[in-house]
Amino acid sequence: MTGWEELASAALVGTDRRPYQGDLLEAAAVEVARRRAGRRIGEAERQEPAPHEERAALGRPAAERLARIMGGEHERLLPEWLAAAAGSGRRVPPYVLPELLERGRRDRSIRVHLGVLAGQRGRWLAGLNPDWDYLLEEPTGETWELGGAADRREHLRALRKADPAEARRLLESTWERETPDDRAEFVEVLADGLSMDDEPFLENALDDRRREVRQAAANLLTRLPESRMSQRMAERARACVAIAGTVIAVEAPEACDKAMERDGIRPKPPRGIGERAWWLQQVLARAPLGVWGRPPARLLEMRIPDWDAEVKAAWVRAAILQKDPEWGRAMFGWDPIADLLESLPPDEQQELAADFVKKHDLDSQLIMVLGGVSSHWREGLATAVLRKIVKVATTQPWNLGELVKLAGERIDPALFPLVLSYSPMESIQQVAALLRFRADMYKELHP
Amino acid sequence: MIERWSRDQVLALAPDASSQKAAQGVAAPGKWSLRGTTGTVLYGECKGSGARPYLACVDLTEPAYRCSCPSRKFPCKHALGLLLMWSADDVPVEEGTPQWVTEWVEARAERAAKAAARIEAARAKKAAESDAAAERTDPDEAGHAASGGGGGRSRAAGAADGRPGSVRHGRVAAGLAELERWLDDQVRQGLAGTAEHEWEGLAKRLIDAQAPGVAGVVSRLARVRAYDDWPGRLLAEYALIHLLAVAYRRRAELPAALAETVLSRVGFPASREEVLAGPGVRDQWDVLGRRDEVQDRLTARRVWLRGRHTGRPALVLSFAPQGQPLDASLVTGTTIDADLAFYPGAAALRALVAARYDSGEDEFSGGAPPGVSPDEALDEVAGALADDPWTESWPLVLAGVVPGRASLGGLPLHPAAHDPWRLIAVSGGRPLTVAAEWTPRGLRPLTTWDDEGTAVIL
Repeated sequence: MTGWEELASAALVGTDRRPYQGDLLEAAAVEVARRRAGRRIGEAERQEPAPHEERAALGRPAAERLARIMGGEHERLLPEWLAAAAGSGRRVPPYVLPELLERGRRDRSIRVHLGVLAGQRGRWLAGLNPDWDYLLEEPTGETWELGGAADRREHLRALRKADPAEARRLLESTWERETPDDRAEFVEVLADGLSMDDEPFLENALDDRRREVRQAAANLLTRLPESRMSQRMAERARACVAIAGTVIAVEAPEACDKAMERDGIRPKPPRGIGERAWWLQQVLARAPLGVWGRPPARLLEMRIPDWDAEVKAAWVRAAILQKDPEWGRAMFGWDPIADLLESLPPDEQQELAADFVKKHDLDSQLIMVLGGVSSHWREGLATAVLRKIVKVATTQPWNLGELVKLAGERIDPALFPLVLSYSPMESIQQVAALLRFRADMYKELHP
Repeated sequence: MIERWSRDQVLALAPDASSQKAAQGVAAPGKWSLRGTTGTVLYGECKGSGARPYLACVDLTEPAYRCSCPSRKFPCKHALGLLLMWSADDVPVEEGTPQWVTEWVEARAERAAKAAARIEAARAKKAAESDAAAERTDPDEAGHAASGGGGGRSRAAGAADGRPGSVRHGRVAAGLAELERWLDDQVRQGLAGTAEHEWEGLAKRLIDAQAPGVAGVVSRLARVRAYDDWPGRLLAEYALIHLLAVAYRRRAELPAALAETVLSRVGFPASREEVLAGPGVRDQWDVLGRRDEVQDRLTARRVWLRGRHTGRPALVLSFAPQGQPLDASLVTGTTIDADLAFYPGAAALRALVAARYDSGEDEFSGGAPPGVSPDEALDEVAGALADDPWTESWPLVLAGVVPGRASLGGLPLHPAAHDPWRLIAVSGGRPLTVAAEWTPRGLRPLTTWDDEGTAVIL
């Protein structure tokens, strides 16, 4: 027992029961001072230092802005900041890493950018703190043979962009050895640059053991009207539909056979939908739109005595799945669903959305539609939205919050001067302030 | 030109979290109809709820704040918002300033000159008195007073010090005598038997006995009981309180500086005026960090500094009722050219900023302050403890140390400061300079400096 422990245990039970020679409190005071003053240096914790960085760090202003965003100032801009910063090819300075990695722990959606942005230091930290080890899974730039799953996906994605055929050949060369999870992810990479050259490979993938792989392959084949699968689906659609004059007679399938299942039709309907309705919707959504032989505008004017709702829902789904702009436009006119905008090129998205904003009152549907229009809105859509803000501000200003935010987040920041001078109204100035914030942000990231 | 502060440095000036949030709300150029900076003064007109805009300005050299808004928070959200915009390079540089800004700056300069004159006068008076006193006291004691850095006359004798001395000392002596007896009883009967209400009662009696310093220590004993190793820690606390009571009783036998320490720890701190009248120590002081702590409805703000040339540590302590403005004039990571007046005592640490000098050029701003090795730091702490065994906090600047999850350069971290991820991230496992507060339970990191020499608040 050391001197201190002896003193402490004597004091705990009391010197009446455990006598102590001398003044215990005085001895303890000496011992306290001795122990505090006499401390020696202990073993340092051993750890490998972080590897040196290959990329330059972002400047202090950029890092400070990131801290502002994470601190709650325009918090919804975080994904945009991260994407733009990752695009700059640089990394964040180390002092913001703990906060950023903690964010990534809670929010999976931002992780994809963190692999690059965190740099060597970030991975080194993730090795020390198990809370952050998800980072070690994110792509780092390694190659096909040696890299982790994310690295290989990234590699395949880059190759696909540069040389679609080569990417498919590379995938085929190792296909048999890949894990089911990887196979499903890799198939999705082929969406970029998809062509009939990929058809044999995808047709084979329909026999894969894993359902996700089969589903991903079927979804891609739907976008190739010439594919064998699309042809089979067209056959099934024709069996269900007969057009005479201005009437579309529809008869839903009676059964879902093995061949239909192989082509990606799910036999079991979700709750609330009948089996036949469910099969009908899927067959029509996956049959090439050309099978209808008429422009969508004409078809929409026709009468459908039976299964009307199912057919319309299938057309919407088909336009989205097959990314068909003509159908996307037509179906958007019938039912403005934000997903339909994805079938359109950015310019047309904005045109359609601007038109919608002009004709439509501010409600949750308008917000959803605008939410579906990808960022950097140009002048047409921007001014349509600004006009809407000014109009609503005089009648129901309490409803403006989300529209103002969305405008500030999506309008091209280069339009800042236009917005600033558009109106002195506070809501418009709020949009301008957010645009300025974003303009400054891009300036810092790409000096 | 003042080097731009980081967003963290600015937010650290806010009196509380809601002010931080409010400040971010007004830190948007759109809310300001006018804003500018001369390099040392920031000003702006912010649209408020009323018809007239709020006029806010900040003198960056101190910093000092003024705003025409009715907020009782200090600095208010407008001043902080201005600073945030400045920190983000969003405040344009202007040549002249509006009249209201010029007037404020001039009024402040005038007040500062008056205050300096007052201190000068007090010093002159004190010097005259201590010359006279030196003739009366014996040379030995005068020597102690000088070596302790306290200066001036000793208050230890108590009789001739001009405060309501003897009556109060009589009460304190009686209170501490009771305390001594109580502690002896505790040790005889065993520490396990103490109930929490006994400490409360004892603390109240010590307040009545006009020994607030000791009362504060006793009232905090309940916290110690919450730890697993409480018997040892409680004994340590009892031993130090006992030592203080004995030292007070026998203060006449102590060296003058140590007697000052005992008096101030019992509850007779030197007054602000007395301290300011003492000699100033001029140096370039690095502001190392700060911590706010709420104790008994008061918020105590500790700001630690260290002199670049003297190597001397200092603590500027200020108090405010909860929610009321705290002194926000010392910005972590900056270096100020100033006279510090130290409170008398052995291992004198607490100080006041007596005068600040406009250093013009930022020749010494930026970059990590000079630091010492862990070995030298331990020597310094041991020296402080030898002078003042009640020392519980000492600011250090450690150079060339590698932080770990539970230690820093081989010195243990305070349990509440384990896993200093930001510090670890900046270091990357390599040595760096860290300012930290030494406490008996371990180090609490305050600030570090990154590759570019920019301060990172921990």
